[in-house]
Amino acid sequence: MARATVPVAATEAEPPRVVTGAVDVSALTWRPYGRREPILADLDLALPPGQRVLLVGPSGSGKSTLLRALAGVLEVADSGELSGTVTIDGEAPHVRPGTVGLVLQEPGSGIVAATIGRDVAFGLENTGVPRSAMPAKVTAALRAVGLTMPEDTPTHALSGGEQQRLALAGALALEPSLLLLDEPTAMLDPGNAAAVRACVGEVVASRQLTTVVVEHRLGPWVDFADRIVVLGRDGRVVADGPPEVVLAERGAELAEQGIWVPGFPAPEPAALPPGLFGPDVLGANLVAVDAADVTVRRSVRLVTGGTRSTLAVDRQWLQARAGQSLALVGPSGSGKSTLVLALAGLVPVDDGVVRVHPDLAHHGEREPAEWDTVDLASTVAWVPQWSSSTIVAGTVLDEVMATSRAVGLVESEAQARAQALLDLLGLGHLEQADPRHLSGGEQRRLAMAAAVTHQPALLLADEATVGQDRLTWAAVLGVVEGLRDAGSAVVLTTHDDAVQARCDRTVVLERPDQPPAPPEPRRPLVGRCGPLSLLAASAAAIPAGVLSPHWTATLLVVAVQALLAALALVSPGAGPRPRGRLRGVLTRLVPGAIGALSVAWSSWLLGGRELEVAVGAGLRVLAIVLPSAVLIPHIDADALGDHLAQRLRLPARPVVATAAALQRVHTFGDIWAEIARARRVRGLGASRRSPRAVLAELGALTVGMLIRSLQAAATLAVAMDARGFSTAYRRTWWAPAPWRVADSLLVMASLLPLAVALLARAVLQPL
Amino acid sequence: MSSTKLEPAASRGTSVRASRPLLGWRTVDLLTVAFLGAAFGIAYWGWGIAYKAPSDALALAFPPLQGITAAPWLIAGVVGGLVIRRPGAALLCEVIAALVSMLPGTQWGATVLISGILQGLGAEIAFAVLGYAAFGVGAAMLAGALAAPLEAVYEWWAYWTDWGMGYKVAYLLILTAAGAVIAGLGGWLLTRALAGAGALNALPPGQEVRERHSV
Repeated sequence: MARATVPVAATEAEPPRVVTGAVDVSALTWRPYGRREPILADLDLALPPGQRVLLVGPSGSGKSTLLRALAGVLEVADSGELSGTVTIDGEAPHVRPGTVGLVLQEPGSGIVAATIGRDVAFGLENTGVPRSAMPAKVTAALRAVGLTMPEDTPTHALSGGEQQRLALAGALALEPSLLLLDEPTAMLDPGNAAAVRACVGEVVASRQLTTVVVEHRLGPWVDFADRIVVLGRDGRVVADGPPEVVLAERGAELAEQGIWVPGFPAPEPAALPPGLFGPDVLGANLVAVDAADVTVRRSVRLVTGGTRSTLAVDRQWLQARAGQSLALVGPSGSGKSTLVLALAGLVPVDDGVVRVHPDLAHHGEREPAEWDTVDLASTVAWVPQWSSSTIVAGTVLDEVMATSRAVGLVESEAQARAQALLDLLGLGHLEQADPRHLSGGEQRRLAMAAAVTHQPALLLADEATVGQDRLTWAAVLGVVEGLRDAGSAVVLTTHDDAVQARCDRTVVLERPDQPPAPPEPRRPLVGRCGPLSLLAASAAAIPAGVLSPHWTATLLVVAVQALLAALALVSPGAGPRPRGRLRGVLTRLVPGAIGALSVAWSSWLLGGRELEVAVGAGLRVLAIVLPSAVLIPHIDADALGDHLAQRLRLPARPVVATAAALQRVHTFGDIWAEIARARRVRGLGASRRSPRAVLAELGALTVGMLIRSLQAAATLAVAMDARGFSTAYRRTWWAPAPWRVADSLLVMASLLPLAVALLARAVLQPL
Repeated sequence: MSSTKLEPAASRGTSVRASRPLLGWRTVDLLTVAFLGAAFGIAYWGWGIAYKAPSDALALAFPPLQGITAAPWLIAGVVGGLVIRRPGAALLCEVIAALVSMLPGTQWGATVLISGILQGLGAEIAFAVLGYAAFGVGAAMLAGALAAPLEAVYEWWAYWTDWGMGYKVAYLLILTAAGAVIAGLGGWLLTRALAGAGALNALPPGQEVRERHSV
């Protein structure tokens, strides 16, 4: 009772800040399997606490590799020989999870959860922070990066810049002492990039974090940094010191190596060998392609049957002229990529029309969307943002020649041009290499060479210069301008001011105003159930169907199920009426209905052509399928993970990995569609309806989708391990996994059809 | 930081094993198996629509031949085991594939989850029998074959209730043989293609490919 109370002021006062974040790298060497030379060779580096380092170097110098080594995640997505040591305040990076925060280049690549609050809490869950302590930490981290929207905002609704700030918040929640940023703004538009930089500056200043930023465009980061470390092509440190000193003494040399040094103007595009391209197809300055009043809506089909729809392009007008280049600029989400796809006839337009000049028409048809794959390829080329999954050949040279062969050019002429282009783009020595083993930057240049070798009248390139250094940038623009000067129309989407400055015209797109989101509709009763009861109730239909003895009994079972389904879909309460409940169930029942019919048919054939047997067999299939069609769509991936781990006590890490994969399933459709588009525009699509061509196309698409999703898995593994997932054996959970009254009611209701079946069995047995 | 101890590069006839301990699943192992499973799940769903015509054609000739068109559903377990090379990989991959294929709605409702467990378990037994040490084409075909029997017996009870024992045994044998070829050999080829494409760099099959063609 008489215990002395600790003075409040003493507990709430800031403890004196212990300065942490001293980094020591000693004799670090890394050789991934499959390379003879190490990427990092005997590297030494020491960073005092609170230092802000800009890590630069030409492509392939191992900048990102060093960053991953500092985060202790080098071997997460790669395998090889590693030696030497990395310590943070005297300990290996993985000793205390969260010591090192890592933000990757591609926005969204590290997102693990469906809502922003849960995503930030991921590291806290992995390190066993009690649930009650999470909300305060999550709120503080989100506030620190300026994300002020509600914590249940879906992660997919964020822009690229917001997703990068979310990744930063996820790192900050673990109170890191070292922050690593891997080209955090390379894929962002200027507005978003500036917002991310400002956010990084504030966070680092207020928390005195040791920070390492990898960038090959130094300009915007020079004021932020107090040290520049330059890696050479052989993976060793070639320059090191305060920015002003390094830039003054070595600036010209660095620019020559390809690094974007502030104060040096953009390089001149490389000159093409004269006569590389043939005479033009269309008179100069004629309108090659004309988009009139084009509107495109894009929808993502969700795996549970719903769709998410956005207005991507809103009543846009655009003309691209022969012999001219056009820069398409605007913030992300303004529909640049979609408009380019519409120009190439690769996405259907909802309104308006895209037409080419009459001289470019095929069989009198002026709309590219109507052409077959070979006609399209001969006139239009498209360089996608993602080039790795659209590779079709086993060698670099075959890859470049693929379209020329598909459209039937003279092999020797096309090959001479292909080789000249490869030389110019710095890929000449790789002619016989497997294109899938090239670096990302090399693959983008390869995609450019493959797009222009057959001299299309219209070139559409999506962010063709991302990730290129000064030298390769000049080569890419040289190819683009060479094609333009040969009389083709060129459209480039870009965030790069220097690219825009080289173009003949610029069109600025605005983000289309989205129609206001309709208010949340009322939830059906079944929506109140958790994933386990939904699964259990779906499973209860199996014995109910299998055990029902006679077609009359099965009919009764199905009738009871239908009644219960109607009850489950009732949506009481206030708010707008939910739409499409019945239609959704019926859509998901289509395969089941077909299955029921075919089972009935084969039972009729085999079962002595008795109608009763056939009807019984068909109804049995329906009884098994009907409850799933109603219940399964209401299973939420995150909730499924919560319940499997907390209620069924399944191992946490496999469960979380599965939930993360389920979270991304809806992106597989997009990947599939993109690969199909790339094949179509390169003249390799399945146009003739021969079964072999269709099978080959399906195989190529499936393998392409697998490759892309496995690459996504590897990147996600890096992001998750940087937030302590590799050691998350005693995990806590952001959300509870309650078993509610609704769950019990659902399970009891699902036993009703089974009871009917068993009862019918008991009654009919003696007969 | 210590130097990585992985098995020496594949020499002819031996497989690179997963890093020790075998049960020490790394994050990339878990995510790879989950993403593979999810992708196969979508493909399974597609096959659930497309398989109907060829399957009916086979049924007209000899009903147990439908085992041939059922064999593609065995591939996820084989590939999961070949790629990850750890205990549980084959089972987990096939179960996730089944779960995902169930989400958009199929003609089998929740029964696919049971099938997934039985098929995955079969493939898992094959890799376990080989001590998680052999992952060549023979091991793949054994896994494809063993993925079949449990599933076939379950299907006797769930789908083929009207068949006589002769048909049932014929179905089991045909599904086993087709599993060895379509899921086993096919899965082995697919794994090789994925490794060749650089999609498995952090995993044993990727290491086998890369050490063979150093650059």
